[in-house]
Amino acid sequence: MTELQQKQRNTTLVMTCPLIITGVVFEKVRCAKKINSKGEKGMKKITSLVLCLVMIFSLVVGCSQGNKDAATGTDEGTSSSKETGSPRIKDTLVIGSAAEINNLDLLAQNDQINNICLKLTHETLIFFTNDGKLEPELAESWEYVDDTTLEIKLKENVKFHDGTPMTAEDVKFTYEMCLNSNASTLMAGLKSVDVIDDYTVRLNLESYDNEFLMNLTAVNVGIQSKKAYESGMDEPYLVGTGQYKFEEWVSGEYVSFVRNENYWDPENAGVAERIIFRPIIEASARTIALQNGEIDVCIDPPINELQFLEKDDNIVVHEQPGTRLFYFAFNTTKEPWNNKTLRQAVAHAINRDDVLTVAVDGKGTPQTTILNRGLWGFYDEMEGFPYDLEKAKAKMAEAGYPDGGISTKLLIANSTPYTDIATVIQDNLKQIGIDVIIDVVEDATLKEICTKGEQELFLWRWNEDQKVDWVYNDLFATGSPYNYHHYSNPVADDLIYKVRTERDQEQRYQYGVELQELLVDDCAQVPLYIANLVIAYNKGLRGQYLFGGGNHDWSRAYIELQ
Amino acid sequence: MIRFIIQRLLQLIPAILISSFIIFFAMNLTGGDPAMIIAGDKASAERIEQVREEYGFNDPVPVQYIRYMAGLVRGDMGISYVTNKDVFKSFMARLPATMELAFASVFFAVLLSIPLGIYTAINQNTWKDNLGMVFALFGVSMPNFWLGLILILFFSLRLGWFPSGGRSGIISVVLPAATVGLGLAALITRTTRSAMLDVIRQDYIRTAKAKGASDRAVIYKHALGNALIPIITVIGLQLANVLTGSVLAESVFAWPGIARLIFDHISKRDTPMVTGSIILCSIMMCLVNTVVDIIYAFVDPRIKAQYVRKG
Amino acid sequence: METATAKSAHPVYRSRGLASETMRRLKKNKGAIIGLIFMVLLVVVTIASGFIYDYEKDIIGQNISERFKAPGLEYPFGTDQVGRNIFARVIYGARFSLAISAGAVAIGLVVGIILGSIAGFYGGLVDDIIMRINDVLYAIPNIMIAVVIVSLLGTNTFNLLLALSVSATTTVSRVARASVMTIRGQEFIEAAYAIGVPTWKIILKHIVPNCLSPIIVQTTLLIGTTIIATSSLSFLGIGVPAPAPEWGAMLSEGRDYMRSAGYICVIPGFAIMLTVLALNLLGDGLRDALDPKLKK
Repeated sequence: MTELQQKQRNTTLVMTCPLIITGVVFEKVRCAKKINSKGEKGMKKITSLVLCLVMIFSLVVGCSQGNKDAATGTDEGTSSSKETGSPRIKDTLVIGSAAEINNLDLLAQNDQINNICLKLTHETLIFFTNDGKLEPELAESWEYVDDTTLEIKLKENVKFHDGTPMTAEDVKFTYEMCLNSNASTLMAGLKSVDVIDDYTVRLNLESYDNEFLMNLTAVNVGIQSKKAYESGMDEPYLVGTGQYKFEEWVSGEYVSFVRNENYWDPENAGVAERIIFRPIIEASARTIALQNGEIDVCIDPPINELQFLEKDDNIVVHEQPGTRLFYFAFNTTKEPWNNKTLRQAVAHAINRDDVLTVAVDGKGTPQTTILNRGLWGFYDEMEGFPYDLEKAKAKMAEAGYPDGGISTKLLIANSTPYTDIATVIQDNLKQIGIDVIIDVVEDATLKEICTKGEQELFLWRWNEDQKVDWVYNDLFATGSPYNYHHYSNPVADDLIYKVRTERDQEQRYQYGVELQELLVDDCAQVPLYIANLVIAYNKGLRGQYLFGGGNHDWSRAYIELQ
Repeated sequence: MIRFIIQRLLQLIPAILISSFIIFFAMNLTGGDPAMIIAGDKASAERIEQVREEYGFNDPVPVQYIRYMAGLVRGDMGISYVTNKDVFKSFMARLPATMELAFASVFFAVLLSIPLGIYTAINQNTWKDNLGMVFALFGVSMPNFWLGLILILFFSLRLGWFPSGGRSGIISVVLPAATVGLGLAALITRTTRSAMLDVIRQDYIRTAKAKGASDRAVIYKHALGNALIPIITVIGLQLANVLTGSVLAESVFAWPGIARLIFDHISKRDTPMVTGSIILCSIMMCLVNTVVDIIYAFVDPRIKAQYVRKG
Repeated sequence: METATAKSAHPVYRSRGLASETMRRLKKNKGAIIGLIFMVLLVVVTIASGFIYDYEKDIIGQNISERFKAPGLEYPFGTDQVGRNIFARVIYGARFSLAISAGAVAIGLVVGIILGSIAGFYGGLVDDIIMRINDVLYAIPNIMIAVVIVSLLGTNTFNLLLALSVSATTTVSRVARASVMTIRGQEFIEAAYAIGVPTWKIILKHIVPNCLSPIIVQTTLLIGTTIIATSSLSFLGIGVPAPAPEWGAMLSEGRDYMRSAGYICVIPGFAIMLTVLALNLLGDGLRDALDPKLKK
């Protein structure tokens, strides 16, 4: 419910803007003071106190009023505050992204930054909250009719950007289109979609899957308009039901979205008039842009520069537990790494605390299990392989390498923080007589080499905040294309299947624990740490909805001017 | 003259053939499976195979190349694997930013270098000359991106005079242009200096001086005009280089230009985008060089005569 | 060595030995002398550092507890993000930066001179083919070529050398070709033909020495630009792999700490700047010294 509460609070804030204008007089005084002399702290305090009181007052009043005319309230607020020359809400929210936006077709694109943009324009049937719950978004309700039939009732008042209502036909159209696209993995297990009536669909599944519903929360399968596709317009995929409409994309500069004034759910409509995403690839430049006020939000600020952001009164540095697991791993089919004891020796030799310090300045959590923290059934109590050089050396001897004497290659991608992690591990392994040559390649090359199984050691990460199956099955099942370890264990395969399909949740949890213990002990992968989510923004930012995995929802975010 | 231009344009054909051949094969024969990138991080094996089929990745590379060239002849540069957008249009969308940066940098360099070149030439072999040349060399001796970062730290963060990056009006081009321009200054200064020295030694300058013309008049009226040809050559060459060679400045300043487009798409193994962009770049370079040659002809009647005779 | 080659060559342009004449003129140019002294010092210091520091322990050995120590008495240039002594790394790292650049330029010289001489000597179709390919490579900026090669072939020292040598090759082959074409028609070449000297011997013994002076100038300048190109590649994440203390790699690792520990990035940057500046001053001085036009 956190999200709903937040949404409500935001609406009332916006709605009662006219009341806040009372505070504008004080604001003006404050501004004038600021220009004349910067040292008037007492005056500032009084002004902000008054402002706070006004805010609280308006909140109380706002809550007692109905929420229906929120949109008009906003309009009044903006226009009247414009007259006095000091708007309360910044027209435009500018988000500085760390990656280039490259494709806004939901079903063709793959990058997180595209996903984040698309969350403004498109909505899914089910919303996945940042504490792991499923809530209705475009769906009214859902239930399993039987093991392989899922019936979903849709909300009846949902409208696309072009004003046409969203119906079961659109859902069927979207999901069937998914099956033949990059999103097909998301819809794995879906056989067909039946339209029962205008606002009811049935999804026919191949077999029962504990986590099928989570698939429907991915923005990639957000509902698109069948009519838009049939109309033959350019880029029909941009028509969605979301709070914002696509406005303009200037390649390499920015993508802008403008508020959808006819959003179907006025209570949760967008607040800022416009949201702009600006890619600034160079991390330092991005933080400087934030400090200069060129952007309001800095995604992925460099850890080493946080101290400057923290010192800045206008900026908030927000940290929350993340879901991105960085790991060191072996190709278990390559000599000598097919030797389990040797792998365990290496695991004992790696100083995770040093890795964490150097890679992210300690902003993360060292981890023993292979599952991303926060996922269902996360279990980190096993002993694992803590840093212990004596044990490492003993295991080396046991594995048949008492004096080390192994020379090997560590494959890494050419992005941060892999080089830092690799230099620490290189130094660690030297202590037990293993010489590591670091081989730096691009992401694309790394993936290909690892899929083919030509690497020896490698560093990689896995970011998952929804489905445990996408960790267990994708990374460890025999034959999975992302099983870069080329690990194969029938016992593990069996447990993976059981976790996916066992309906008794107690029992399923036990299977999960058993599986994690097995995978840790087999040591195809040495989990290093989970990086915290760190994000910096203008202190006036409100209404943001952050996910530890980085798939933030900005559809209700705005900057409140102080 | 027209024959000369046509001749120049014909020379483009082998250039396009060679560059497209090299890039296309390099993109395809080295690591990184484009199908995996198109299909995305969590794609199933079936989906990857489906993509391979769809995009024709299963055909041998020469077949793919011929298919690409066949499209090229019809004027179709293909669709980017990553953005699903037309390559030519994507390139053209980035061109203005690149041109703006290139011209601004060259302008900056010229503004700095020509006076400096004249100054050092007048003071030849004095400490002023030495100091001036060392100053001119500073820009080219620094890694471009390093200079860029330092300029951002100082002028953007400390002083707040300029934005740290992005392309938003004339003010945003100042820092990137200064960064790139300083790198060009050395060569232009040097060329100006030696061209001026050459000219100053000529008889007519001596005559002008003997006539009693002021130093200033001699330098600007007589000498500079005659020293222009080598200076224009160098500026033209530099301009052509900056058009595609400022990938680092573009990356530091988040400048939405062509170099960064190419760099970003290499890592995504986007063959049509990279090959197409490089072809368009070589065409652009050729055009710039041709224009420079034509300008010569106008500046120097001797060269014009030469072309007319040849043509 | 230069004296030897100069003597063995036919004295077409110069009456005195190339080296002594050049030195005489070079001495007049203060900048060039400073550049030369700097380069000699740098080479001496980097060789000496090999005896003072142990590569495993002092250069790449980590000491996490000592990270981010600002420059001071104990560490003249401070320590980096894994507690390594930056002073030692910069001093020691000169050999990597210089060796990689010199190596790439050397490859460029050999290949460039061969291609350029062949093109210039034979002319016709051979010339056309070589020079057209050369034109294409010359038209694409060095950094772009290097980026394409390294990112496609993978980051290792060999690919890096290959990528960096391409731009050296294009420059050198142009210079070589131009020189060869001016010399080709000279009488002594025809005389050598007449007495039956094989072509490769003519190229090697008569032509190469005579186009030495522009090539020496180019080499000096190319090493400078190659040092910068190497560091640029490192900046883009495709340069010299860790943990080698190559200046560009140090600089690029340090740029993450630009604001919190600026010296990590600034010091290798200065090392690059001073070295390239010295090379440029030397190159410019050499160009003036070797330029027959400026002879008085």
